[in-house]
This record gives sequence, C-alpha cells and structure tokens, in this order.
Amino acid sequence: MARILIVDDEQGVLNALRRMCLNSMITPAVPDPHVTTFTSPLQALGYVRDHPVDLVISDYRMPEMDGTTFLTRLKQLQPDTARMILSAYTDMDGIVRAINDAGIFRFVSKPWSDVDLRVSIVQVLEHRALLLENRKLANEVRVQRGIISRQQADLEKLEAESPGITRVRWSEDGGVLLED
Amino acid sequence: MAESTSGFGTSKHNDFAWVYALYELGQKVATGIDPRRVQQDILDHIVSGLDAESGSIALLVEGTADVLEIVAGTDLPPGAVGSRLPPGVGVFGHVLATGQPLLINGDVAETRLPLRLNQRRERSTDSAMCWPLRVDDRIIGTLAVNRAAGAPRYTVADLDRGQIVTSLLALVMANHRMHVDRENRISELSQLNAEMQRINALLEDAQDQIIHSERLASIGQIAAGVAHEINNPVAFVLSNLYTLETYLSGLFRLLEQPVEARGSPAPGSAQAGLDVDFMREDGVALLHESREGLLRVKRIVEDLKDFSRGGADETWESADLHKVLESTLNMIRNEVKYKARIETRYGDLPQVECLPSRINQVFLNLLVNASQAIDASGTITISSGIDGREVWFRFEDNGCGISKEHLHRIFEPFFTTKPVGQGTGLGLSVSYSIVRKHGGQIEVDSELGRGTRFTVRLPTRQAAAGNAHGTDRAIAVNAA
Repeated sequence: MARILIVDDEQGVLNALRRMCLNSMITPAVPDPHVTTFTSPLQALGYVRDHPVDLVISDYRMPEMDGTTFLTRLKQLQPDTARMILSAYTDMDGIVRAINDAGIFRFVSKPWSDVDLRVSIVQVLEHRALLLENRKLANEVRVQRGIISRQQADLEKLEAESPGITRVRWSEDGGVLLED
Repeated sequence: MAESTSGFGTSKHNDFAWVYALYELGQKVATGIDPRRVQQDILDHIVSGLDAESGSIALLVEGTADVLEIVAGTDLPPGAVGSRLPPGVGVFGHVLATGQPLLINGDVAETRLPLRLNQRRERSTDSAMCWPLRVDDRIIGTLAVNRAAGAPRYTVADLDRGQIVTSLLALVMANHRMHVDRENRISELSQLNAEMQRINALLEDAQDQIIHSERLASIGQIAAGVAHEINNPVAFVLSNLYTLETYLSGLFRLLEQPVEARGSPAPGSAQAGLDVDFMREDGVALLHESREGLLRVKRIVEDLKDFSRGGADETWESADLHKVLESTLNMIRNEVKYKARIETRYGDLPQVECLPSRINQVFLNLLVNASQAIDASGTITISSGIDGREVWFRFEDNGCGISKEHLHRIFEPFFTTKPVGQGTGLGLSVSYSIVRKHGGQIEVDSELGRGTRFTVRLPTRQAAAGNAHGTDRAIAVNAA
C-alpha cells in the first residue's frame, strides 16, 4: 500500500495528480495507491498528525506557507515520510532550503511529465521502503547481537507504524500533550 | 531766386481732397497691401502735391537711434529703396540729428543727399526741402522733396507749410509701421505657436513612449507571477490529457475484444485495471476541468495582450471600470496572493469614459506597489464609489508605508526606493500623468509602518475642458 499525500493550492493540479496516481493502466503503476489531497498546508499538517503517510508531494508557492516550511514541519511529525516538491518556482534559495532543511528526495518542475513523475514516485517509494527495511533488519541483527534491548527495537518498530507514538508527552492529569 | 508759383499751400493743393487722399493712402496700410507699395504711393502723392520733381522717405530702423532706411523714393537708382544710410551723413542725417527742417537752394552737389548718387539724373537738383517726421516728440524718419534747376525754388514759406503735411505723414507712417509691426508680430507669434505645437506633439509622443515603456516594464515585473498563473493550468491540463489518452486506449482495447469477453474480465488480467464506469465519470470531469483550465489561460493571455497593446492610438470608450480592475487582478493575482488577501468593496458605478488600458496600467501600478509594500502577509482593500460626477477607486494596504520625506517625491519621475530591478521609478509618475489626462486626480495618505492609501478620482465624462482629451474632442466637434 502506498499512502500518498498531495498538497497544492490549485484544485486542478490535485485532481490531475490523483488521476495519475490512481491510473493503473500505465507503467510503472503506483502500487496500491491511497491518495489524499489538500489545498491548505495547515489542514494537511493536521491530517498528518494522526495519519501515517509514505510519500508527500507538495507545491512550493502556497498562500499559507511555502512548500519548504510545510515539509520541514511535516518532517518533525513524520521523519520517515518521503518528501517531494512539485513546482514551477525555480528560485535557487528556495531549492537550497528545500534540500537542506526539508530534506526532499526529489524536486520536480511544473508542468511535469506524467511518465517521469510516476517513475520518480515509484523510485522514491522503493527507496523509502528499502531504507525502512534496512533499518528493521539492522535492528534485528543488533538485537541478536545483544547490542540493543528487545524493548528498544519494539519501540522503533512501533514508531515506524505510528509515527510520533513513542514521543508522546503526558500532562500531569494523564492527558496527551499535542504539539501544534 | 524765383518765388514758388505753384505747390503745396496754393489754392490748387490746399484743398481738403488732397489731405484726405493722403489720409486714405495711409489707411490702405491696414488692408494688407504690400507696405512698400503704399509708402511709395504716399510719396508720389506728396511729390505731386508739392510740385516736386522727386522725393524720398527714410524711416529710422527699429531699435536704432540714427540708422535710416530708405523706404520710398522717386528717381532713385535701383537698390536705393531698402538700403540703409550711414548714420549722421547727408541731409537726412543732419535733419535727423538736429530735428529741424532744412531748405536747400542752389548747388546740392556739395551736400551728400542720397539723390546725389543718381548718376542718370539729367537735371541736377536745384531746390530741396527736408523735414523730420515726428510722432509725440519722437523722430521716426525723414522726408525730402526736390526740384531740379529751372523749376521755381522752394521758399521758407513752403518749408513751413510742408511742416503741416509732415505731421500728418508722420502719423500715417507711424500708423503704418505699427501695423507692419503688428503683422510681423502676429506672423512671428503664429510661427512660435506652430513651433510650440510641434514641440508639444513631440512631447506628447515622448510621453506616450514613456507610458508604453513603463507598461512593458511593469509586465516584466509581474511576468514571474503571470508565468506561474499560466503554468498551473497548463500543467494539469497536460497531465489530464495524458490520463485521458490511457482511458481511451483502454476503452478501445476493450472494444476490440469479443462482446462475451467484456462482461467479466478475468481477475489479474490486463483488463483488471479497467473500470469502465469510473472512466466514464472521470473522463467527463477531466475534460470539464481541463476546459476550465484552458479558459483561465486564455483569459490571462487576453488580459496581457490588451494591456501590452493599448498604445497611443487607443480610443476613448465608455468602460465598466470594475471589469478593467478585474482584468488587472487576473494578471497580478499570483503576484499578490501569496502575500496579501485582497478585499473588495465595490460601489455601483456608471460607465466611465476613459482609455481602459491606461486605467488598467494605473491600477496595476497601485496594486504592485501595495503588494511590494507588504513584507510577509497583509491585506489590500480595494473600494470604489461615485461622488457627484466623478468615480473613485481606493487602494489601501497595511504594508510598510511611505516616510514623510519621500511622500512628496513619489510622483517624480525616476524616484524610487525599491531595489534595482524591482521598480523603474516611473510607475507613479506615469499613473499621475494618465489620471491627469483623464481630468482626474490621485491622492495619497500614508503612515510609516501602518500602510498607504491611494485614491484615484476620475470624471465619468470627458466633456470638461482643460485636459488634452477635452480639447481634442472640441476640435473634432468643430471640424464636423
């Protein structure tokens, strides 16, 4: 399953990208796509709080905040989500920040080529899956060698399934403190 | 020395008719007949009235005290009329210097009269009279009449009687000179006027050029935003078309199969991904969205085209200024929307007679300024209304504002506080001249750190004189 989140202030772009991801008649097809879209980065951040996402594709120029800011904040919530920027905006400073601060995997320019974008999406998802798999295997090896405790490995596994769950802060009355 | 038996002062010539004829000759001056010709006629009249053989009139050259120019003469060599006499020389020079009439009887070859130069004269001058021509104690020239030897010589009595005539002559000549001066001044003035009109036309051309250049420069400033605004629809339309292509090829593949096989595609087969119902629904939506997208591109391109094309040859028309403003907003929405929220409070406006693309340019300038004044995020409020015979548009931002020392300079050409590449310094100066051309005005209020408010007032009709268009129209009406 590929959980994909797309954010762009242009509804037409969102619809086209959703179509492209869901279209299974072309290769490479995105495997088992689940696409969620938002025109508002703020709403998207709210969604990300309790919905794990494998890949997020964001526009750069948006009214509420730019794509780099959005992805940087999303990265704090879900560090393992793969991040891409899709934009006609080609300001050097913006791209540098997107790479250094938001740690994006790809920068795709608008108008995009459907084929190229799908190849990128599939590659990024595979790359991410490999990273996660690699980490999981490495942890198993470490457990086996007694380097880390079973408990810590379980915690990391839990974190991978529900991002942020191991870093919950409790208030004095037992409530869960949410970061904004 | 023979007494004069005939001449001015005798009953034959002392009649009113002769004086009246002289007066009439003087009046001819005003009818536009060649002045030299009139002066010669006057001289001929006097020469005949005084029973002289020849005569000449010289007038002081304008702006000099002692240079005489011969304006009329009889029996003078060719070229003498129109020539200037050396100052202080000859009988004329003497009369001019003394201001006294002069009677010369006897040999004039000793004197340096102009007629002495006449080599073809058969009889030598024997008797001559010369008077200064006075107007209000000011000598404006001299008159001389001559008799050849053989004719009766002039007497002092003739000189005194002639003095009376010269007063009239002086008036006629002065009148004539004033008339000529006036004609010259009028022609000079009309030449100056023509020259001024030519320069004015050049200035207007230059002004139009500046307005047009500024217009193109402002397109440069908003180009990135416009590109983005066009890019988005183009991007999703392209993607949609690609998707549609796969839908269609899928459907055609399905059509090529035998009817029985279509109903239940085997799981896992190529048709598994073919959801005909979905494609039918989504195909329609896809086309609808794509068309909307392309219409948006079309609108922006049209707005841009209208904006960049409107040149000096644009005609005045009644326009809905809200539509003009919307077309401006179409072009710069992308420039503004990432920084500012645009709030509009439009009143009910009548059609306004204007040059729409010029007004568009004013709106664009004010909106770009408002947007650039806002650092990160703010609000631009646009309101409009009608106030008697004029409509007003107000552009209010809550940006950085304009400092007091800059506020009175903002309409100066090339004055800018923007970094290089972000402004030409011409925007407001050009906006000002456009609004003035419409007979309207621009007002500005600003406070540092609080924001700026520009108000544009435009008359709904251009009938009012005092602006270029009103004048043009008045001329057009007269011509019709």
